[in-house]
Amino acid sequence: MTALLTFQLRRVLRSWQYLFFTVLLPALFTVFFTQVFGGQAASAGEYQDYARDSMVSMMCYGGLGAALGATIRLSFDRASGWLRQLRVLPVAGREVVAVDTAVGMLLVLPSLVVVALVGRFVNDVQLPLTSWAALLGALWAGSAAFVALGMLLGLALEEKAAGAAIGILSVVLAALGGLWVPVEIFPSGLATAARALPSYWYAELGRSVVAGSGAALPVLALAGFAALFAAAAVAVGARRPLHAVAG
Amino acid sequence: MTAALDIRGLTVRYGGTTAVNDLDLTIHRGETVALLGTNGAGKSSTVNAALGLFRPAAGTVEVLGRAPLAAVRAGGVGAMLQHGGLPSESRVGEVLRLVAGRYDDPWPMADLVTTTGIAGLLDRRCEQLSGGQRQRVLLALALAGTPPLLVLDEPTSAMDVEGRQAFWATMRELAGRGHTVVFATHHLAEADAVADRVVVVDGGRVVADGSSAAIKSRIAGRTVRFACPDRTGLADLPGVTAVGGTGDRVELATTDAEATLRALLTTRDRLPDLEVAGASLEQAFLTLTGGTP
Repeated sequence: MTALLTFQLRRVLRSWQYLFFTVLLPALFTVFFTQVFGGQAASAGEYQDYARDSMVSMMCYGGLGAALGATIRLSFDRASGWLRQLRVLPVAGREVVAVDTAVGMLLVLPSLVVVALVGRFVNDVQLPLTSWAALLGALWAGSAAFVALGMLLGLALEEKAAGAAIGILSVVLAALGGLWVPVEIFPSGLATAARALPSYWYAELGRSVVAGSGAALPVLALAGFAALFAAAAVAVGARRPLHAVAG
Repeated sequence: MTAALDIRGLTVRYGGTTAVNDLDLTIHRGETVALLGTNGAGKSSTVNAALGLFRPAAGTVEVLGRAPLAAVRAGGVGAMLQHGGLPSESRVGEVLRLVAGRYDDPWPMADLVTTTGIAGLLDRRCEQLSGGQRQRVLLALALAGTPPLLVLDEPTSAMDVEGRQAFWATMRELAGRGHTVVFATHHLAEADAVADRVVVVDGGRVVADGSSAAIKSRIAGRTVRFACPDRTGLADLPGVTAVGGTGDRVELATTDAEATLRALLTTRDRLPDLEVAGASLEQAFLTLTGGTP
């Protein structure tokens, strides 16, 4: 189990796309947005608000991208025949799924931590230590919804669709979920659509933890999405076993 | 001692097509068996069912006295699949170590690498391997647990001539060490060179089963062709096992071309357009199934 986990982690970390889109890009966005828009803030307090919110949004953007990117790859392993090969080795299918889920959860952390560090030390976001810990913990746990979505898509999609889904889905979830532009300035129809997306609730979770306000609604929404995606993944997995040939 | 592979009444269907039809096959430990057949004969389906890759429509499969999946999990079976593959973003050595680590009694790494001829490939990325190199790495994975039973589905399909020869030399060596080797092939020469038992599969059934020499003598028969509008009595000629051909062109499959020709010439003055040729595998199947196309 540990050997397979290390093996899978190393594989994902070798992909430069993964590191670029889930760690470097969100970190750069954090600096860019804060310097450009935060620079126009009228007061230090306003700047703090802006820097903090954009950091939380970028942590969410990086986190969901990492969760999806690390798990949708399951589809590539089907296409290459590796999943079928594993089936004739003493490796249980459950273990393959468990390891890929764990890889997805673990690889969310670098995105969250790097963006938080950039927020703290480059953009000077000030939070009590307990809030930093709560924010990281909440966003890590909340990423389970996107890990489940990634597993679902990894099991269901063919290689090409899966490759496209990683990029497109992160962008759509980030843009429509209000991670790049706040939902408050969306037209009302779009704002309603945003509330139907897990990414909106993911950012809401982060904002409410930082604000110290009640996080029950976002927690409930994300748990609901996680359960829905996980159930769908189990259903797809039952119809189409891991070792089924692509196509 | 339980059989290495015991298949009874195996039936495999894909949609409306029956790929394997009530097939029985028992392979004893230590045997080297070729499943010989054309594409679509049911070889791969038989092999995949033996590995438990799907649930057959009917019949039972026991591998080393267990259910297929349990035998695989216990490390008793090494397999090379037609659609098996290697992971991206990884090196050959990493994959090999990962797989070897799953077995209680792995094949010593240095020897495994030499036996399968992949010494120069360990630092190579899996994506960069040629077809033949990839097959050798997959063979190393199949052997990593020193499995008593090896199941190979058309293992040499991506190899060049040299690669094939090296591969089969390795297989003979493994058979010599007491491994049971079962492989599917559509090359008569491969079956002949390696297997001590050849099972001919056609239409999802076993149509012949015997020592390599016995099968070869049957399918190394000859085809006698000539022009003749009347086919009466041809099937009863000595050596003739099947009568084929179209229109005036008669095609006789025979196990004894000389006897057949002798008998033909006693009753006829001439045999226009006479040809005698070695039987192709397709013609051999005709002989073995005793039918006409």
